[in-house]
Amino acid sequence: MENSSIQEPFDLIRLSLSERVFVKLRGDRELTGILHAYDGHMNLIMSDVEETIMIVDVAEGAPAGQPATVNVAKRKMEMLFVRGDGVILVRLPYCRICRCSCNQVSPPSRT
Amino acid sequence: MRHNFCPLGSLIFSVFKTLTDQQVTVELKNDLSITGVLKSVDQFLNIRLDSIKVLDEARHPHMMAVKNCFIRGSVVRYVQLPSEHVDTQLLEDATRRGAPT
Amino acid sequence: MEDSTPPPPPEEQSPPPPPPATHTGSPTDFLKGVVGKRVIVRLTSGMDYRGVLSCLDGYMNIALEQTEEHVNGVVTNRYGDAFIRGNNVLYISAAEAF
Repeated sequence: MENSSIQEPFDLIRLSLSERVFVKLRGDRELTGILHAYDGHMNLIMSDVEETIMIVDVAEGAPAGQPATVNVAKRKMEMLFVRGDGVILVRLPYCRICRCSCNQVSPPSRT
Repeated sequence: MRHNFCPLGSLIFSVFKTLTDQQVTVELKNDLSITGVLKSVDQFLNIRLDSIKVLDEARHPHMMAVKNCFIRGSVVRYVQLPSEHVDTQLLEDATRRGAPT
Repeated sequence: MEDSTPPPPPEEQSPPPPPPATHTGSPTDFLKGVVGKRVIVRLTSGMDYRGVLSCLDGYMNIALEQTEEHVNGVVTNRYGDAFIRGNNVLYISAAEAF
């Protein structure tokens, strides 16, 4: 904490510029991509983006507590503007404390 | 391409301005996706599109006759940009310089 | 639409902050006292994020370290550093004494 001084939350995002980040969005969506720009609303511009959409199907008549089936839809986009009001969380590409990759966001699977 | 970035917020507005007359795909929060030529954009990121085409026309038949539209910025989820017209290095430098402090 | 308004001026660099209050004090005192401590951040979606609060701003945008995502009390993800957009925050709860 002392060596990499962070005075405000946006400093954290600044450290992620040109790195691959993980973004959690409203509507059960997640993105990974390389961050190129952001602003105070958390509007983002990212490239090489993979979007994951979680679609939770609760089986009809299933007993309570039975895990719902989760369908995952993925798609890729080359260059994407993301409107900030949908952003919940941004995860950094690496751990700042040990500079290791324990927090590494894996690149999108090549399918 | 010469940007005149101001601090705080207008960076992304500037990016959109440089992309006028380019083809973009706007995805709305109601899952409607519209491809068209970006005609103009304002500070709220409201967007005017020409020569539009809705991705899933079968699901939105009422959009078939629409040739151009104005999209309120707040209903936008994503805009897919033409990557060949986005200078990522310039963006990162401008963001570092003008980023919210 | 809160996103249409320009971002606020930078958080005020207040002069010497008062010593962290223990039992009484304003919400601001609480937030100042809890920086650097373990916290639980509950989002409006019901999800919890537990971690060390690096810092926060006037919008309640939050930077967390050693973050664990909890859903219904179960750890679902671990993030080293995470930024949480303030509009999603329901509350911040101190998870250790300060």
